[in-house]
Amino acid sequence: MGYFGQIQAIVWKDLLLEFRTRERLAVMGAFAVLAAILFDFSMDKTVVRPQDIAAGLIWMTIVFGGLLGVGRTFHLEAQDGAFQGILLSPVPKDAVFLGKTLSNFILLYAMALLVVATFMLFLGLELGSSPGVLALTLAFGALGFVALGTLFAAVSAGTSMGESLLPVLVFPLLVPMVIYGTSVTSRLLGGRPVSEVIGNVRMLAAFSITVLFLGAVLFRFVVEE
Amino acid sequence: MSDRGMRRAGTVLALLGLVGVGIVYWMSFFWVSTEIRQGIAQRIFYVHAPAAWTSFLAFGIAALTSAMYLWLRDERLDRAALSAAEGGLAFATIMITTGPLWGKIAWGTYWTWEPRLTLTLLLWFVMFGYFMVRSASENPDKGKRMAAVVAIMGACLIPFIHLSVILFRSLHPEPVVVKPDGPSLPADMLTTLMVSLGAFTLVFLGLFLLRYSLENMRAELDAPSTGTAR
Repeated sequence: MGYFGQIQAIVWKDLLLEFRTRERLAVMGAFAVLAAILFDFSMDKTVVRPQDIAAGLIWMTIVFGGLLGVGRTFHLEAQDGAFQGILLSPVPKDAVFLGKTLSNFILLYAMALLVVATFMLFLGLELGSSPGVLALTLAFGALGFVALGTLFAAVSAGTSMGESLLPVLVFPLLVPMVIYGTSVTSRLLGGRPVSEVIGNVRMLAAFSITVLFLGAVLFRFVVEE
Repeated sequence: MSDRGMRRAGTVLALLGLVGVGIVYWMSFFWVSTEIRQGIAQRIFYVHAPAAWTSFLAFGIAALTSAMYLWLRDERLDRAALSAAEGGLAFATIMITTGPLWGKIAWGTYWTWEPRLTLTLLLWFVMFGYFMVRSASENPDKGKRMAAVVAIMGACLIPFIHLSVILFRSLHPEPVVVKPDGPSLPADMLTTLMVSLGAFTLVFLGLFLLRYSLENMRAELDAPSTGTAR
């Protein structure tokens, strides 16, 4: 089995598990919808237009909802020592990391799209100047988040504090994702041209790819026994 | 260097540094001239800037020794990383408490999301996470490796974060010491700053050596071969 075949096997296993239990997707989906309901009631629409603050709310929902899902990456496998089995298999550790990250990415990206759809439905959000670039921005943001989240989920799973440690480790390093993600999103929603935001999309992509690379290199030291 | 020698060197360096800090206080209160635009509040700069320099130095040492620990697996490197990170956290705390005190007078606000302030605060939280991971780990060896990963991630991403925040307009004073055409600070201010930098660095190195030899002693006590009494 080649390198990409190994990654594919791990992604497939995770998605199949997720499809059968629907554990994380259900929690993340419910969180996205419920958060949008609370956001709707939390703002006085005679004072602010939802359109003006939607970008920040979308990204915060992705971050907090993402923590719920990513924090449980190694939860199921921690039982019965199933993760030991994966580590003992001849798959390189970075392939394990990339596989885990990719399956988390698919879950989180589905949730991100759901968040935007919910905001359109409940808050009357319009997609703005370029839905395609918006979708791309969400994809890069989600990728950076899951790369960081998967690495630190493995770290926090190794401590007695578990998932409650995850925000302390992830949030300080998440600043570029939030800066570029919200700035691109709010400008696109405000109808600004794509040429104005493309630089920030590139910076977001650079951040996400850097994190992905670092995670793949450092993951082996975290899971090593 | 033996443990005893290291403790002695650490004590000497720390005491020298403390004497230096005393001199710095005297210089910054009585000797150096008052900056004309910022007034008397500018004197806090002689504590603030050296604390900043020392905490960055400490974090640099912690990240470097962490990376070397993952590579060479020498326990001493981990002890060095721990000692440096602890010093870094202390000096970073000095930096983010003195900064707002000055900011309130010079900028009219305690806090602003200015690049260097943001950098410091995030650095503080990365070091905080480093200690959280260490102390919450059930398996000490695993805890050391995971904490090292936290330090390395921080060291690799902090420059990126700094660059990102810089793209917003900066309010922080422009560099006055390290710049291409030489320092633009008046001579007495530069002298005070340099004495202060030296004193803070000595205090840090002294504390670092003392902390490091303490970790060595702790490891010796914990080692099974010498633990006959336990």
